[in-house]
Amino acid sequence: MTQTQHESSAPVSTGRSLETNGLRKSYGGVTALDGASVSFQDGKVNALIGPNGSGKTTFFNCVTGMIRADEGTTTFRGTDITTASPHRIARQGIGRSFQLCRIFPRMTVMENMLAAVRPTSVWRMIGSARDAGDQERARELLARVGIDHLEHAEARDLSYGQQKLLELAGVLMADPDTIMLDEPAGGVNPALIDRIANLIRSLNAEGKTFIVVEHNMELVMSLSDHVVVFDRGRPICEGPPSLVQNDPRVLEAYLGI
Amino acid sequence: MSGSLILQSVVLGVLLGGLYALLAAGLTLYFGVMRVVMIAHSAFLILAAYLAWYFTSQTGLDPLFSLIITVPLFFIAGVLMQRLLISRLRPATLTMMSVLLTFSIALIIEGMLGFVFTGTQRRIRLPYSGTSFEIFGANVAVVKLIAFVLAAASLLALYLIMKRTRFGQALRATIQHPEAARLVGVNTDRVAGYGFGLGLATAAVGGTALALDSTIYPSLHWHWIGPLMAIIVVGGLGSIPGAAIAAMVLGIGQALLQLPLGTTWAQTVFYVALFATLMLRPQGFIGGRLAQRF
Amino acid sequence: MTASRTVNRGVKIAGLLALLALALAFPSLAPDPFILSVGVVIMSYAVLATSWNFVGGFTGYISLGHAAYSGLGGYATALLILDAGLNPWVAMFLGAAVVAVLAVPIGIASLRVRGASFVIVSIALVLIMLLVFQSWGSFTGGSNGLRVPRPFGPDVLRPEQHERFFYLHVALLAVALFVWWAIDRSRFGIGLKAIREDEDKAEALGVPTFSYKLVVFVVSAFFTALGGGLYALWFGFLDPIFQFSILVGSYMVLMSLLGGIRSLFGPLLGAVIVGYALEFFKAQYGDTQFHLVALGLLLALVVLFMPDGIIPAVGQLFARFRPQAASIREQTQAELAAQRRGEAAEAEPDDAMAVSGEEARR
Repeated sequence: MTQTQHESSAPVSTGRSLETNGLRKSYGGVTALDGASVSFQDGKVNALIGPNGSGKTTFFNCVTGMIRADEGTTTFRGTDITTASPHRIARQGIGRSFQLCRIFPRMTVMENMLAAVRPTSVWRMIGSARDAGDQERARELLARVGIDHLEHAEARDLSYGQQKLLELAGVLMADPDTIMLDEPAGGVNPALIDRIANLIRSLNAEGKTFIVVEHNMELVMSLSDHVVVFDRGRPICEGPPSLVQNDPRVLEAYLGI
Repeated sequence: MSGSLILQSVVLGVLLGGLYALLAAGLTLYFGVMRVVMIAHSAFLILAAYLAWYFTSQTGLDPLFSLIITVPLFFIAGVLMQRLLISRLRPATLTMMSVLLTFSIALIIEGMLGFVFTGTQRRIRLPYSGTSFEIFGANVAVVKLIAFVLAAASLLALYLIMKRTRFGQALRATIQHPEAARLVGVNTDRVAGYGFGLGLATAAVGGTALALDSTIYPSLHWHWIGPLMAIIVVGGLGSIPGAAIAAMVLGIGQALLQLPLGTTWAQTVFYVALFATLMLRPQGFIGGRLAQRF
Repeated sequence: MTASRTVNRGVKIAGLLALLALALAFPSLAPDPFILSVGVVIMSYAVLATSWNFVGGFTGYISLGHAAYSGLGGYATALLILDAGLNPWVAMFLGAAVVAVLAVPIGIASLRVRGASFVIVSIALVLIMLLVFQSWGSFTGGSNGLRVPRPFGPDVLRPEQHERFFYLHVALLAVALFVWWAIDRSRFGIGLKAIREDEDKAEALGVPTFSYKLVVFVVSAFFTALGGGLYALWFGFLDPIFQFSILVGSYMVLMSLLGGIRSLFGPLLGAVIVGYALEFFKAQYGDTQFHLVALGLLLALVVLFMPDGIIPAVGQLFARFRPQAASIREQTQAELAAQRRGEAAEAEPDDAMAVSGEEARR
């Protein structure tokens, strides 16, 4: 268990990061995922796009263990994580954000950050959370997303944009090597979108892999190296942005029949 | 243990199971529409029983006639309770705070019953109280059969409302997927209110059925809420058919266990089933996809 | 900033010492043994409510059935003295340890899925315990109750008993408060509070939510059982109806909620207020059904209008008089509203910078 943090901070392999094979999930009669097999590239910015209800969020939830797929498998760097619990998956090095930004509203910004620290022993667990080293790292990350001046504020008092930045900083605090973002640009103003895009670029340059669900096509096309298009619970095409953009199947999926 | 004794127990279990099923259906409705564990359900049950008893002792009419008053009254009370109290709670802490709120309502009802009617045990005396007859060699009291028929008829009515009416459709949609229901134009707030009213109406019917052949006292509701909550967990939170089946199975189980263990220990069957369910299959044995998330 | 923090700490320590002095002086201030016994009862409530608050305050899981653990603690203590012949104090700790072990499977069953089933199990547990302890007469004394041997000899008179038990309860309360405080500031505590705020989110960040909840649940059961055991030794008699009463569990909830479940001293404050009111009511009007109504109404009012409790409410009141602190909140809320309005227009200046550094630094 102590090993994972070291592993996650140094992404080594350049092959496939996250792979799913035939993921299937249905709710009652509605099929949300219909045999989704996808593989994402390590060290790249991968985008997941598709019309509303095409199963993107369900896919995220299955991969991160929040819901259990009816069928299919998920592997991360060769380890089967299909039935692992969400916190184990997180400890393997996958961090995620949520569609409607989720933070801990009645905790301060600093506490929000410290909640992502993983104590490696019982002794550290009962030790004070206000560890100087952890706080220093938290401040660095808050400064990086630009909200370090709000350290003592309660998270619920932040604006939506600030909350989104806090959520991202919290995910980074856990030091994942693969970061899954569910609509990072959803509901935020254009200036902030630029800032988030720049953050993703610079983090990617440092070796973080990204898997991003996003509706803002401009952002997707400018940001991503690899695009996967979802429709009706499965990928219908994938490739570099320029190729996907002109694929007739994608247009059909988006415009409907 | 003779065969006829077992048969007798099974028949009694089925009769009791019918009442459990109706009441558990009500609890399931609240949980379905609002994700509320309604602790006061059985307190309302006892309240209805008291009203039936009071009605009969004042008018001399059959307690069944009290339904004409209690069912609409409880329906309205349920709607008001949802609209005025439950909907005021913050969504983030709804499950926990609603438990406390309904718990406090249960305390208030119990206290008021004790205050108004005193803690004395009450029982309705009917001309047909002592009458019984035989089915397949099992001895069945007429009042128990009436209670069962009442419960079964109400359950059937509930089923028809859920399956056949537009309101029922909206109700089921709200239970299964509130956001989606809102998107297709269901006024989920209003539906939740009516769902609550319907749930409380089952307590009115159940209370009258209970008053027919039981001795009632204000704190009796604690003896009901435990088994009922166990039933809805075993059946899978949010599933009405699941709750009905679990109610039948556990009702019969209780009646059968009374033979070797006696009435007190037989009650533990509910709790054993509750723990077994949570250990083995926390989402419930029969229905219940909701329980995974709540 | 550091100066104000030192002052702050000074005020806190002074307040703590004053509280301790008041608690220790109480027995000599109490005019008669009856008032002293009321003090013991209130301290017992404070221990139970603080113990309850390990689960309620940190994880936000509301248990209505903690009377099961205090009752079991009392019975375990009594039975270990009577049947195993143990020293009363050893019996009390051993009894609490037994209850903590029992709490493990109960926790596993009830904490695996979210809120609703936890509450259901917590209530069911009290009802089961009542059933078992009433029916199993040969072991537990059944409905006739169980006499608990006194730990102090017959030469120790009543007022002296009360005084000793008052101090013992204060000591136990101090330990419980200390452990709560230690968890509150630890990494474990941050993880627990994250669970209270958003369990899925905490899990996604890597917090092993189930184990965290289970551990704190067992800790809570342990302290509750100690509280039950100590009370049993003082009171000297156990009756299942009162030990496994759903009311005792709801007192713990009401006290904690009224004082404030997120504050260290919230349950204590609530216990003093509610405990005093209860004893006053009992002394004035006897045991009527009306105390149920009063309890129910009070609980409903707290849940509806003051779910955060007195301590945070008073804190906010003070914050309003401190101009600096108030300006942050008002500014950010006004800003939040503006931002929500702006979202429709989708044209807003970079809101991340809207709260300037000076304002945010308290």
